[in-house]
Amino acid sequence: MTTTEHQRAVKAAADELIDVSFTVNGTPVTIRVPARMHLADALRQHLGLTGTHLGCEHGVCGMCTVLVDGDAARACLVFAVQAEGTDVVTVEGLGTQDDQHPLQQAFSHHHALQCGFCTPGFLMSSYDLLTHEPGVDDERLPEELSGVICRCTGYRGILAAVADVAEAHPEGVPAPRNCAPRTLVGRGGAATAAAPEAAPVGDAEEAVPTDITRPTGTPTITVEVTRLLTSPLDDIWAVMTDVHRLARCLPGAEMTEDLGDDRYRGRATVALGPVRLAFRGLARITERDESLHRLALLAQGADTGGNRTAADIGLRATATPDGGTELRADAAVFLSGRIAQFGRALAGDVSQRMFEQFAHALDETARTGQPPDVGAGPGALSIGVAAVRDAVRRRLAAVRTTLQERRARRRGC
Amino acid sequence: MRLGRPGTLVDINAVVGLDGFERRKGALRIGATVRQRHVERSSAAAAVPLLGLALPFVGHRELRSRGTVCGSLAHADPGAELPAVALCLGATLEITGPSGRRTVRAADFFQGAMTTAVGTDEILSAVEFPAAGPGEGFGFAELARRHGDFALAGVVTRVRSRDGSVADAVLSGFGVSDRPVTRDVTELVRAAAGEADVETALRPGTEELARVMVDTAGDAHGSQGYRRRLFAVLAARELARANRRATESTS
Repeated sequence: MTTTEHQRAVKAAADELIDVSFTVNGTPVTIRVPARMHLADALRQHLGLTGTHLGCEHGVCGMCTVLVDGDAARACLVFAVQAEGTDVVTVEGLGTQDDQHPLQQAFSHHHALQCGFCTPGFLMSSYDLLTHEPGVDDERLPEELSGVICRCTGYRGILAAVADVAEAHPEGVPAPRNCAPRTLVGRGGAATAAAPEAAPVGDAEEAVPTDITRPTGTPTITVEVTRLLTSPLDDIWAVMTDVHRLARCLPGAEMTEDLGDDRYRGRATVALGPVRLAFRGLARITERDESLHRLALLAQGADTGGNRTAADIGLRATATPDGGTELRADAAVFLSGRIAQFGRALAGDVSQRMFEQFAHALDETARTGQPPDVGAGPGALSIGVAAVRDAVRRRLAAVRTTLQERRARRRGC
Repeated sequence: MRLGRPGTLVDINAVVGLDGFERRKGALRIGATVRQRHVERSSAAAAVPLLGLALPFVGHRELRSRGTVCGSLAHADPGAELPAVALCLGATLEITGPSGRRTVRAADFFQGAMTTAVGTDEILSAVEFPAAGPGEGFGFAELARRHGDFALAGVVTRVRSRDGSVADAVLSGFGVSDRPVTRDVTELVRAAAGEADVETALRPGTEELARVMVDTAGDAHGSQGYRRRLFAVLAARELARANRRATESTS
């Protein structure tokens, strides 16, 4: 008996690192994992896909259910090395917060979750069921969904949600909505086809490739900010096209090397209270439109803790009637690793605040010719403080509104 | 459950020649790497109706999409469904090792809890289930606390009719001993087949059989007495069903 060509026979010690290539949510990935690491750990630790949960880790609870080549499987019962050449879909591939899969909408509508721990398992299991048995009878659902355990809901909401989707899609449930090649780099040395030269994290200097590709897929956050600057358009544009001065306007950032062809190496520090992140990365200017005063750049970075970020940034300056400049920024920011857990709200706040500081520094530089001292670190620290302050203010405002509404209702009664 | 900690693990999934799945000389041959769910969905499995009856009870969908028929046989859990099916049908198991291939009958294959005739340097490379012929009827039932759990007790039955009378009948049980157990029950079924209520007529006989075939001690999920009673009820019901199907299949 021989082995097929694409799956070479490898003999390895249990903890020996093996390269495994497969597709996750439409993205080809290659990761380097211990021979006996299971797929769920690989997805979570190496690819940052923490939507796949782990409960019992011996195939009983169903939390880690994912699709392997279109069939639901326990990710804790498949070694990562066995995923070689397969097509894996996790709950992240099913839909996004803004574009939910019908199953996710139905779970939300029927309150089919409380703590949410089992939800990824139930979503992937019911996706598998409705794909292979579209017309499944309501009466069979309890049995068919018995492969995942829920300790909160009593299952009623879950059964109602799946029954709803089965009825709405008698020809089969729609395909996953978030499967496309994307930037997917997590902790512990993952590399994607988009950045095949990325070395294992731990050696951040080497982890920075010399070229950079446009991230694809759904960004973690998108930033759209417009700021009015006092300096005239020509002065602003002069700074925007001078990379050295431009870099110094970025809070916490520093350019360390000009690689030529509009590619630059740099460092950036972001501090949020006790959390200090030091990224090393690469940026490339992809567009410099003199007539539209438009600048586009791609940036990517990694820190030694396995956090990675990539951004697709567009800047456009327009003259205002009063002789000032309107600066508009559009950025798609991709985060993976632990920083992704900050959540979109806080990450968005931080990005917004960073842009405001950048816009302010840009204005200063255009006016005085010299950038203010934003690269020293305190600027970055204050970003965190300001973001938290804003979040607290919003929360207080919400509480105030609620109280006012309650009072209004009480008066009305 | 992380109880076994093998020093060496060999993934046989990519080995060419282990994924065969075909009808062959009155039998259905299933290679070592053929998934349970593949068999469940395949029209070829109709040749062995007991597989269609038993497979939905093997774990859950999510497990059957990775689990293999041969894997279940080689693991030989006393509470598992497929070993009892193999035993009831008199399946032939093909074992491959350094000295070549050999075949073993199901009756000689299961030697105890999770213990089989497969040596340490061998693998179970395929299994052949005999295809159902005319005049054959089958029954399958199990009771578990939740769907997908190992059964408290389960039965597999096969009855063959010829010219309107019972030619032979087999009863196998699982979850009742340290391995699947089987008995020739031709005389019992033949005697009951003429009665108006076959199931009731079978009951004294299956109660007798339960005392011999069910030797598992009781546990938190059910005493030995409960399991014997459960086994007797399921056995009578599924033997009657197999007999009915056998008669229908000849007519």
